[in-house]
Amino acid sequence: MKKTILTLIALFLWFTPAAAKLNVVATLPWIGSVTEAIGKDRINVTVLVKPSQDPHLIEAKPSMILASRNADLLIYNGLDLEIGYLPLLIESSRNPKIQPGHPGNLDCSQFIDVIERHQAVDRSMGDVHPLGNPHYHMSPTNMARIVRGITQTLSELDPANSAFYASNLKSFEDRLKEKQKQWSLIPVRGKRFVAYHKYFEYMAKEFGFELIGYVEEKPGIPPSAGYLERLVESMKRTKPDGILVTPYYGTREVEALSRMTGVKTIIVPHDVGSVPGATDWFSLMDSALQALK
Amino acid sequence: MQRRIILFLCMFAFCLPGLAFGDDLESRIRAMEETLNRQQKTIEEQQKIIKEMQEQIKQGSVAEKQGPGEKQPIAPVAVAPPPEQKPGEDQKAGKVTGLFGGSAMSNPNISLVLNTFAFGSNQTSDQLQNQGIPGYTTTGLGLKNGFNGDAEISLFAPVDPYFNLYATIPISFNGEVELEEAYFVTTALPQGHQLKGGKFRSGFSRFNAQHEHAWDFTDTSLPYRAFLGEEGLIEPGAQYTYILPLPFYTLFGAEILQGQNPTLFGEDAANGPHAFTGYLKTSFDLSDYSTMLLGVSVVGGKTQTDTVQPNSLFTGNSVLYDLEMYYKWKPSKYQSFSLQSEYMLRNQYGNLQDLGLDTPSYLERTQDGFYVQGVYQWDRWRFGARYDALSIFTDTYNLAGQQQNFGPRPWRATAMVDWNLSEFTRIRLQYIYDMTSGTGTTDNQVFLQLIFGIGAHAAHSF
Repeated sequence: MKKTILTLIALFLWFTPAAAKLNVVATLPWIGSVTEAIGKDRINVTVLVKPSQDPHLIEAKPSMILASRNADLLIYNGLDLEIGYLPLLIESSRNPKIQPGHPGNLDCSQFIDVIERHQAVDRSMGDVHPLGNPHYHMSPTNMARIVRGITQTLSELDPANSAFYASNLKSFEDRLKEKQKQWSLIPVRGKRFVAYHKYFEYMAKEFGFELIGYVEEKPGIPPSAGYLERLVESMKRTKPDGILVTPYYGTREVEALSRMTGVKTIIVPHDVGSVPGATDWFSLMDSALQALK
Repeated sequence: MQRRIILFLCMFAFCLPGLAFGDDLESRIRAMEETLNRQQKTIEEQQKIIKEMQEQIKQGSVAEKQGPGEKQPIAPVAVAPPPEQKPGEDQKAGKVTGLFGGSAMSNPNISLVLNTFAFGSNQTSDQLQNQGIPGYTTTGLGLKNGFNGDAEISLFAPVDPYFNLYATIPISFNGEVELEEAYFVTTALPQGHQLKGGKFRSGFSRFNAQHEHAWDFTDTSLPYRAFLGEEGLIEPGAQYTYILPLPFYTLFGAEILQGQNPTLFGEDAANGPHAFTGYLKTSFDLSDYSTMLLGVSVVGGKTQTDTVQPNSLFTGNSVLYDLEMYYKWKPSKYQSFSLQSEYMLRNQYGNLQDLGLDTPSYLERTQDGFYVQGVYQWDRWRFGARYDALSIFTDTYNLAGQQQNFGPRPWRATAMVDWNLSEFTRIRLQYIYDMTSGTGTTDNQVFLQLIFGIGAHAAHSF
């Protein structure tokens, strides 16, 4: 009996975190990656979505609810990208710390200048994001601000380590400056692309290339045959530099289009871990820009 | 002289209009001053507006001028207008998304789901109302050959930092309005704990808490129909749940319910709440893309119902046990497979009063049932199969010491295919081979169902 009680106590202590490390739950791989760059070994990061999963279509699995239950901080993309599971996850987590309005609930989109905000949309236009284009993480300007915001929140929740977080932010920013110099030398400015999904708009704005058409007739809805026919015709006329697609969704369609038009397919990694080389946000940007070259 | 006259005439000609203008000049100057003042005012107003707009741009709340029509150009290779770069220097501009997205405070989130289906079977209208499953329930399917359905209104929003509120109001095609659910959920209790109260779908078992439009098949399975009725266990009451601090997901729940369910309990069975549930559910990921969920539930309470046998009233006690299993494999959005199964066992004892006779007879029945269903999704198509049956291991129906016989074991086989044009439209065709009449005759049932959802984006529950 005594032994059982001791075992139970030991188990309980084992599962009660040793109070020191901040538990961070990040919805997307890139969020987890940049948060880890700031928090390093002083935080525990759990990432909910795999790079191979479509971030629009995720279910609130019990393991995700459990991770959220134990979180001190939930960091997410926002702009309704996670609307299909995050509300349910936050409520089911039974965790007051990560409810909206609390410091443990961090929406990264608040740090950026949103593009493609819509005043009047309805679902006949497909899965349009009325709050604006939510795929903003492949922009160094946005990332600089987001990382600042994350550092600020980590320091707020864990003041004891704020100097540590600040110095990691400094090295992130130094590296970003260095990298931006390298990236500016990659010749993508002025190129014209067709894209599968509205995934590269922020990147285009920042690196000066142009997106002149989309394979998806309406966001999230497969294109009709008639639309594709028109697309093929206009692509033959305008001769874009490539068709952009992320590694997991739409590659079949894009390859077919490529064969019909002679325009090459360019697979652009969209998140950390989506291709073997993209181990963190910097290498993700490296491989994405190299692909566009 | 002539020159003088000309000069004079010229001067006269010059002065004439000048004289005539004399008074006018002043008024013209005044008018000009007025105009200038007006323009000054306009400029000031415009500057004010510009300033306000700059403020708004800083906060990022100015919607882009791009109309939705231009967003996806029909001519695909039209150059989209370059989005304006907005200066944003503030780190936290304060545009935090709410729990359910957007920022509407003046209205709750509203959705409407139209669930309509055409139904055809070998049964007559009377049988569909009253046939039931002999030995289990006298309640029929409650469907009509022809068109059936309802429209369901859902409202939800956070109340304040402490509660979220939900309401579901289905309106049947006959015009019957029902308050299916209306409950609050706490959001500020200590880590792991949650209370729910009002009228809600009980957390007992797996299938019970799912809304009809989210079901994998058009109808409910046999054990649910036999033990809880078509609608399941929806009760006024209070619920407490707790996620245990364990390395794998484990949820404990307990409920006190009024006990209105007409099949298992009955409104007048006791004075006050007379049904209680308890459940424990656990889940673990077998891989990145596959998850297993297991659970055990029990519900019990006092019963008074007229659904045991025709023209009779049963008064006694009931306990219903449930074992649930759910497995889901979802490697990508293009394909997934789920397997779900539940086993239910009900024990009931008390007095069965035949309304034609004076003396009641003692009834004890211990009966069980189970279903297993699999659904395979390929892109926008889903294919499903289900087998459900009653009296699996036990079928005790002991009335006044005599075991009753109600004919062969009730069972069904179901096939389903549905096509999801978008997240908000589902078209489904379902066929049931039904052997529940107790007489050995087969009933063939066909459903052609359409489900549409508009309004607030409902979350996908696992």
